Amino acid sequence: MNLFEYEGKQFFRHFSLPVPQSMLLTDAEQPAPLPFPFVLKAQVLTGGRGKAGGVQVCRDQAAYAEQARRILAMEIKGHRVHGLLAEAMVKPEREFYLSITLQGVQRPTLIFSPQGGMEIETVAATQPDQILRLEIDPFLRLKGYQKKRLAQWMGLPQPEVDAFLEKLQRAFFEGGATLVEINPLGVVDGKLVAMDAKLVLDDHNRAAKAFEAELEEARSALWQYTPPAHEATTVTYVPLQGDVGLISDGAGTGMLTLDLLTDLGLDVACFTELGGMTSEEVMYRAMELTLGSGRPLKAVLIVLIGGFNRMDNMARGILRYVREHQVTVPIFTRMCGTMEEEGLALMREAGMKTYYDLTETAQALCRQVKEG
Amino acid sequence: MAILIDPNTRVLVQAITGKSGQIQTKAMLDAGTKIVSGVTPGKGGQEVLGIPVYNYVSEAKQHHDFDAVISFVPPAGAKDSCIEAIDAGISLLVLTTEEMALQDVVEVIAYAKAHGTTLVGPGCAGVIAPSISKVGAHPVRFFRPGRVGIVSKSGALSYEIGKTLSDAGIGQSSVVAIGGGPLWGFTQRDAVERYAQDPDTDVIVLLGEIGGSSEEDAAAYIKAHVTKPVVSLIVGRHAPAGKSLGHAGAIVSGNTGTAATKIQALTDAGATVVSSPTALVEAVKAELSKKGGA
Repeated sequence: MNLFEYEGKQFFRHFSLPVPQSMLLTDAEQPAPLPFPFVLKAQVLTGGRGKAGGVQVCRDQAAYAEQARRILAMEIKGHRVHGLLAEAMVKPEREFYLSITLQGVQRPTLIFSPQGGMEIETVAATQPDQILRLEIDPFLRLKGYQKKRLAQWMGLPQPEVDAFLEKLQRAFFEGGATLVEINPLGVVDGKLVAMDAKLVLDDHNRAAKAFEAELEEARSALWQYTPPAHEATTVTYVPLQGDVGLISDGAGTGMLTLDLLTDLGLDVACFTELGGMTSEEVMYRAMELTLGSGRPLKAVLIVLIGGFNRMDNMARGILRYVREHQVTVPIFTRMCGTMEEEGLALMREAGMKTYYDLTETAQALCRQVKEG
Repeated sequence: MAILIDPNTRVLVQAITGKSGQIQTKAMLDAGTKIVSGVTPGKGGQEVLGIPVYNYVSEAKQHHDFDAVISFVPPAGAKDSCIEAIDAGISLLVLTTEEMALQDVVEVIAYAKAHGTTLVGPGCAGVIAPSISKVGAHPVRFFRPGRVGIVSKSGALSYEIGKTLSDAGIGQSSVVAIGGGPLWGFTQRDAVERYAQDPDTDVIVLLGEIGGSSEEDAAAYIKAHVTKPVVSLIVGRHAPAGKSLGHAGAIVSGNTGTAATKIQALTDAGATVVSSPTALVEAVKAELSKKGGA
């Protein structure tokens, strides 16, 4: 789950990380919450809001009234702004970049740069010597010598750096995060202050789950916010642009089939993958997502090769959906693996053709689509 | 022989009394795997298919020798049961569990590494050596013994390509599926290294997919160390950017993790990169015939 900045700062406060005084506004007509001047920041689930004009200093009531209305109406990179964070002005002596991440790495990694305020990808591309990366041992956490190196890079006293890192590591590990990013991290009177907060929590982490439920409930107060639809099953459904439905019982075979169909000149309508825990209901749900989207489909390819997955359950899920919805779209099913005899027998009884070889199945579907 | 397992590998099954545990235990026994005991806390004293069940791994160890553990434990208990298994001093742990918290995975990987246990997974189908043994979920009927070593992230893709090769009369020394990521105990690079040293593997098949940089890491290893022929198929060439396609690790963001960079790295390393199962069979056949027959 991606957190809004105001949620990230709430999270930071919980772990005693210093953040500027701030208040969330959910409509543009509220009276100024802080003495002027203060900063008004768009609350939006994407980066680049500064460049887009979503962060403004308000020096008086007139500026505040105008900016509040303007920012709350903004859309940034396709993301609607759902609130405003009014934050006390901070005048940092220096601005750093600091994060702990588990994204794109095999171990938790602390990333630091003295070049705060810039996107870290840009710093990495243009000034790679301005980045310090420290791998964090999951049991020992940051070691003494690693913290010494960081204090040297920061040019701050060791106790200040140690205390901040202690809290930051607790936020990352106890909070169940996959990313905790502070950019910029300000130095104010020799003390570190988190001027921004970008957090991603791990939906599979128990500690994170409890916090996520709280946040989701509080989000109902936001401006024009609709909670994302939560898929109750393990099914992954990614809508694409084409007219051939695709269901698979494995991510790898799904991607392989997507490639095969595209190479045959077909346009795939969706990538539907069953995920780990499969059952008749999960297969039924995959059919519903694929065929019930309201988009016209020329054919559907179902690729099944069961290891953990049982073909008898798959056949039951397919057949129940087809029967209940009187599906007329041609369905091409490749079915093999665990309990295959039982699954194939069910398909046969229902008069549904099945295939054995994946390439042949894709070619048969291609002929049907191209020749009608 | 094979990588990771051999005819004498003795296996303990964690969560043997669960639905998956029972089905997969039967399939492994049918495949010739030597399963010596199982563990499910609270179910000690029971039997599953004639296999004795204990409450703790340490308890099972008092009565049986085993060198490998396969875990079907649900996500919430998976970390602790892995640490329990590693504490028993095993050489191989196959962790099939999906949807574990990433920080749990980090700890299990670090703990296994520190204790000399090879951890395959999480979220993986495990390993099969056709006609010898299997510690995993691979359906035996798709595989036949031979001299091609396969590594795949995806379980289903490893079945698919194993089946395609078997249907073409080409057998496998071992087939290992390491999980969809984004974190791995045993990487593609690790598998390539083992196959490179395995006297019974002539051709290495590397099945990769978009996302991350583990195919690039494997390519760097191949370039520096591997003289055996490598044939590779990278799936997800036509996947949309920014979407995770079923595997948490399979996501293209910006210019990293694209099929193009992986194909380039593997091609530079001297691998034959193909774009379909049909082409893969042809390429493997060609390499085997250079060696003097399948």
